[in-house]
Amino acid sequence: MPMYGDLGNKLVQHAKRAQNLAQLPAYQTELVRAVTREVRDLDRDVASMLEPFQGSFDPAAEQATACTLLVNHLSMRRNKRCLLAYHRTRADKLEELVWSGSDVVDLAGQQQAGAAANSVPAAANDRQSSSLSPQEEDYVRQYGDLLAAYKGQWTDIDLTGSLDPPRDLFIDVRVLKDAGEIQTEYGAINLTKNSQFYVRQGDVERLIAQGYLQKLG
Amino acid sequence: MSYYDIDSILTDAEKIPCTFQLDVPDLGYLDNTPTQTLKTGSRVALPLWLAEMLAIASSSGGLDEQGKSFVTFDLPPALGNDVVQALKADPRAVPLRDQSAHFYGLATHMMDLSEEQELATVLRKTYVTRATEIALHARKVGGVGHHGKSSADEGSNLGVGGAGEEFLRGLDERERRLFRKAHDGAKAGKEWMENVKKH
Repeated sequence: MPMYGDLGNKLVQHAKRAQNLAQLPAYQTELVRAVTREVRDLDRDVASMLEPFQGSFDPAAEQATACTLLVNHLSMRRNKRCLLAYHRTRADKLEELVWSGSDVVDLAGQQQAGAAANSVPAAANDRQSSSLSPQEEDYVRQYGDLLAAYKGQWTDIDLTGSLDPPRDLFIDVRVLKDAGEIQTEYGAINLTKNSQFYVRQGDVERLIAQGYLQKLG
Repeated sequence: MSYYDIDSILTDAEKIPCTFQLDVPDLGYLDNTPTQTLKTGSRVALPLWLAEMLAIASSSGGLDEQGKSFVTFDLPPALGNDVVQALKADPRAVPLRDQSAHFYGLATHMMDLSEEQELATVLRKTYVTRATEIALHARKVGGVGHHGKSSADEGSNLGVGGAGEEFLRGLDERERRLFRKAHDGAKAGKEWMENVKKH
């Protein structure tokens, strides 16, 4: 028997699953829309139920109506909680990803570009297939800017850097994805797929975090 | 138990049996008969988020002395006599998960709503007894170390083989969290020790 609040519950189950995943699963656009629609319907019901009373509703005299109103109100409140919790869980996850240095928006684009088997350039990805909602992409971008501004205050310390002290200054890396040319103290390196380099760890740390390079050994 | 807590929200979706104390024309859908009046005395299983407020709110409008609530509720089957007797006999032998995935969440919620001293005692004893057992299993798994990378597949699979499997499958959500914490703790401790030896 479908009931008010069931859809919201489904949404929260999605959030629960997302908590245990490394990647963020796709945004449930349809479900979110359905829950908000449910709230709007309930609100309309409440308004029409109260209309004949002209603002002088007496719960004691109209117990059945009072009970229905309460049920509707609680359903709306429940849906609100589900919606907020769902989005907050995702936002938390996104912040975590930003801090860990993975390029979230970029990542979503690449997954989709890979699936499309190189038929379209990655730049042409449309919003539909990203696992983030447009609002979330916005959030990530702005949160990233905030973090960058915060980090910019200290030039000597990389706040998102690795906490493990490096064992070696130089490491072997293999290139997993074409990453173009990077500039290092020892000149430019062209990172083409499947090639291997002996580079300074500090120069490529970010590329490793983003999944372009793999550390060997 | 914050407002945004996912497990707390899922716990609130657990249903408990309620009995309506008045006729409500528009709520027939709760009893699967959308076109009919919901009659006084109808027994309907309602989720906690709905049942709790309906049971507390009084139908005579607030602070009235003879306030009668919209519904009365009973303990859910998960906390019924059968289960309680089984828990009294041996807490470790009852797969709580089969009763409810959020057994303790549901139970504490019900304790807030009703005064069942004996049930509270049984539950407390259950938790303590089972927690010991959980800690034991969590250590064992960490000790054998046949479980190389666990950060990725930490979800719901606990990756355990052997004797404890049956017991571990019966853990409710809260116990699973406890197990995972104990397991990760033991594992991290072991890893740290190995690291110290290496250097």
